[in-house]
Amino acid sequence: MLPVRLFETLLWCFPSPFRHEYGEEMVSAFAQELQEAHGKTATAAIWLRSVAGVLRHAPQEHYHVIKQDVRYALRTLLAQPGFTAVAVLSLALGIGANVAIYSLVDSVLLRMLPVRNPSALIMLTNPAASGSGTGASAGERDLLTYEEFLQLRDQTKVFAGLMASQSAATRLQVRVNGAEPEQVRQRLVSAEYFDTLGVPALLGRTFGPPDGPKPAFAVVSHGFWQRRLGGRPDALGATIALRLDTFTVVGVMPPTFFGETVGDQPDVWLPLSMQPVVLPGRDWLHDNPASLQKTMWLHVFGRLKPGISTSAAQSAANVVFQQGLSAYYATAPNEEVRRKFLNQRLRARPAANGASGLREDFGQPLNLMLAAAALVLLIACANLGNLMLARATARTREIAVRQALGARRGDLIRQWLTESFLISFAGGVLGLAVAWVLRAGLLMLVSDTIRLPQAMDLGGLAFAFALTVVTGLLLGLLPSLRTWKVDSTAGLKEQGRGLTASAAWLRAGKLVVAGQVALSLPLLIGAGLLVRTLDNLQRVDLGYAKEKLLILRVDVESAGYEEPRRQALFERLHARVLSTAGVQSASYSPHGLFLGGDSGDQIQVEGYTPRGDDDRGSNYDPIGPGYFSNLGIPVRLGREITERDRPNSPRVCVINEAFAKQFFAGRNPLGRHITQIYGNQRNTYEVVGVVANSRRNALRDEIEHRFFIPTAQPVDVPRRISFAVRTAGDPTLAIPALRRAILAEDPNLPIAAAQPLTELVEERTVQDRLLARLSLGFGAVALLLAAIGLYGVLSYGVARRTSEIGIRKALGAANGAIIAMILRESSWLLAGGLAAGALLAFASLRWIESRLFGLSPTDPLAFAAAALVLALVALAAAWIPARRASRVDPLVAIRNE
Amino acid sequence: MNDLPGAESLLPLPTATFHILVALADRDRHGYSILQDVAARTDGKVRLSAATLYSSIRRMLEQDLITELRDSPDPDSQDERRRYYRLTEFGRRVALAEAQRLTAMLSQARATGLIPKKL
Repeated sequence: MLPVRLFETLLWCFPSPFRHEYGEEMVSAFAQELQEAHGKTATAAIWLRSVAGVLRHAPQEHYHVIKQDVRYALRTLLAQPGFTAVAVLSLALGIGANVAIYSLVDSVLLRMLPVRNPSALIMLTNPAASGSGTGASAGERDLLTYEEFLQLRDQTKVFAGLMASQSAATRLQVRVNGAEPEQVRQRLVSAEYFDTLGVPALLGRTFGPPDGPKPAFAVVSHGFWQRRLGGRPDALGATIALRLDTFTVVGVMPPTFFGETVGDQPDVWLPLSMQPVVLPGRDWLHDNPASLQKTMWLHVFGRLKPGISTSAAQSAANVVFQQGLSAYYATAPNEEVRRKFLNQRLRARPAANGASGLREDFGQPLNLMLAAAALVLLIACANLGNLMLARATARTREIAVRQALGARRGDLIRQWLTESFLISFAGGVLGLAVAWVLRAGLLMLVSDTIRLPQAMDLGGLAFAFALTVVTGLLLGLLPSLRTWKVDSTAGLKEQGRGLTASAAWLRAGKLVVAGQVALSLPLLIGAGLLVRTLDNLQRVDLGYAKEKLLILRVDVESAGYEEPRRQALFERLHARVLSTAGVQSASYSPHGLFLGGDSGDQIQVEGYTPRGDDDRGSNYDPIGPGYFSNLGIPVRLGREITERDRPNSPRVCVINEAFAKQFFAGRNPLGRHITQIYGNQRNTYEVVGVVANSRRNALRDEIEHRFFIPTAQPVDVPRRISFAVRTAGDPTLAIPALRRAILAEDPNLPIAAAQPLTELVEERTVQDRLLARLSLGFGAVALLLAAIGLYGVLSYGVARRTSEIGIRKALGAANGAIIAMILRESSWLLAGGLAAGALLAFASLRWIESRLFGLSPTDPLAFAAAALVLALVALAAAWIPARRASRVDPLVAIRNE
Repeated sequence: MNDLPGAESLLPLPTATFHILVALADRDRHGYSILQDVAARTDGKVRLSAATLYSSIRRMLEQDLITELRDSPDPDSQDERRRYYRLTEFGRRVALAEAQRLTAMLSQARATGLIPKKL
């Protein structure tokens, strides 16, 4: 009967419960209809009707079955609120942590720039470099000069577009539409910038070649437009006044556009050719062959022409670059210098995800955190799997009853899957909320240095959904396998006293718990190591007291002070600062403390023969008078820099102990000379003092050798000056008065920074704080999950052995002995887990070695503390079921037999 | 189902459901017999497919409009596969309510002259 077979096959469209219930009847009705049909037309009509009926009703029946399953699952889950809450919460924490960290990894490391066809973009500079560098560079070039960019732009033929951008966005003090002065983040970009990226303006236009040689135009970000220009279309034409110049807003970028650098969201883009106006006092648009010193400050991006490979572009760009270098250094004083300068080349790298210094700083911490989050999710899943299995075992009887009543295995498995999907769905939804909060919290923690979009994108949601589906499937499958094995008659027999099946589960459950302990231990040890690292970093001795010290930076160059007028200005400002109420003492230096800047040059030290290329140079700081006494850095030998060191007095310098050790080992440095070499320039200073080592930028590294020269006898005149102000009380309280004092000297002086040193030092530990807090959080969650797992297994074990315990008690076992028996069992689990965990930690924790400070990854204290915490929490979790066991009433227990 | 919804809450009935109720009004029937009865009463104009029939029966059983009989009412029948269905009291009420609803609609249409008084 082929037609009947065909119809039977068609019935597979229906869900199995319906098919099992009515399939046979439907086939018989269909067969009978066919039998009684006369002629082909009638037969065809029956077929048509039957197929249409199946197609129409099968989806309805599926929907009905799913609805029933969901309703039944909800009822079951709500009847056990404790189990459901634990399951959903642990999953939510696991999924939330993963999604949050993944979304950060995605933002910082993976995401492509929101521009047209980002994979055709390449960079000719180092994506991790930023700022500006003067002098020579050897080997691979990090940044380019404006003239080098112009040569590449005009002479290469492999790019559909080539653009340059200022490698570090800067803050500017501007007046928007004539309002009060405010700070904006700006980036200088070449006219080709937006076209090369392939992003048109949302409103108005971007820059272009027709703008002319002095384009006083600005393109603003969507955020700035909304926040500062009211999001109105008539914002085009708004004015942004910068000192004496005014820029006109000609375009607004779309909301997703942040430029080419991840972690940076400029408010305003200004034309690169306006550099002398935006960053006055220096000419960064022209290389000066006379000095051999180029100012390298630009990132250069190119869009490859179709069919051109990155390596072909690199070769083509290097040809032009080398020609430029040869021409530029043709006048070099000697062959050695010339060879050194010509030893430079460009490397082209794919730039689909843009430039970013974040990747170097945060790449490793983020990957570490992602690994930790994955571990937490694994533990959470193990926990859930365990709980589900325990539940499946506890429900053996229910399953057996349902099977005896005609439920098929397929139905039961579908039921389990529905329950676990519901749990993982709820966990996923709650996890998204957790992720959102966690991401916002993490971004807040790093907001001083990094600007990333607040919202999670679709990638994060897709990731959450994938996690949810996978966990749901895994968890649902476990009890399904269990159901598969239930023999309905054995299940019916298995009552209060568990037999083989539950004993087998208990063994598996114990293994899982030991595994959880083993996974939690490295997390806890890691957290301990990172927290102690942070503590060590916060206790690092700077060489002076960091409390009650305010750092105040003034940009004198952008206020229009030419070099000859600056030293006098520094001295007048110093006097004003000193006479401000609440100020105890003050001194100054161009680079300040913990603001990031530094100077370094080649040196020759009297009586010292360099051993290699590494000890020919030193960093140095120009400083004002009384610098060391103000900070409280002891002078070991000789004297410090004072008011007596004038431009026309003998050139002097002070060295730190590291410098003395390196260059004057065993000799008296006082009276010796240091010659600093800068291009064709040579400056010789006499050493007049030795001071104790101190830290000025980094917390982790060894303190490097350094010498200090008076700002009055500079190598080059500083562009800005930072005051280190010792205050009587809270340094932030002195800021308004100090601001007034500076502006009283000249209302145009921009105060670039005013922060207590403690805050600046804290900013140096941003990644360490992030890691310490997160790892602590993950460790705590892992601990909690392991405790829940242990509690679950032991509780089940105790419940299963109620009668055995009753008999023991009836035979005279004391309560204490019962508790000891249960705790002994969990101790074995714990010991096994801890041993495995310690091995795991030894193997894995060397990955975080580079993040540690002042301790080794096998720090015994961290190991011991983590093991102790884990053991205490585990024993606490075991204590509850143990006590329950001790309270078993022997009479009741035995009567249940 | 203990708490039966009111008959009204099920109205209007799907056409197939109403036909099945009518087919079961005079006697208990098995599935194929319902199909035949519906076709005969409508001169072959309404022919339910097996899928429509059993999907409706599944729902009607849940709504308590019909019940399944444990034993075949026809003691001579050799066919044990066949299940018989019977109209419940509630099913009868629902069928009545549906018939009244249809009658009311018909008389409204007549009152407005949309259709002739006698059709």
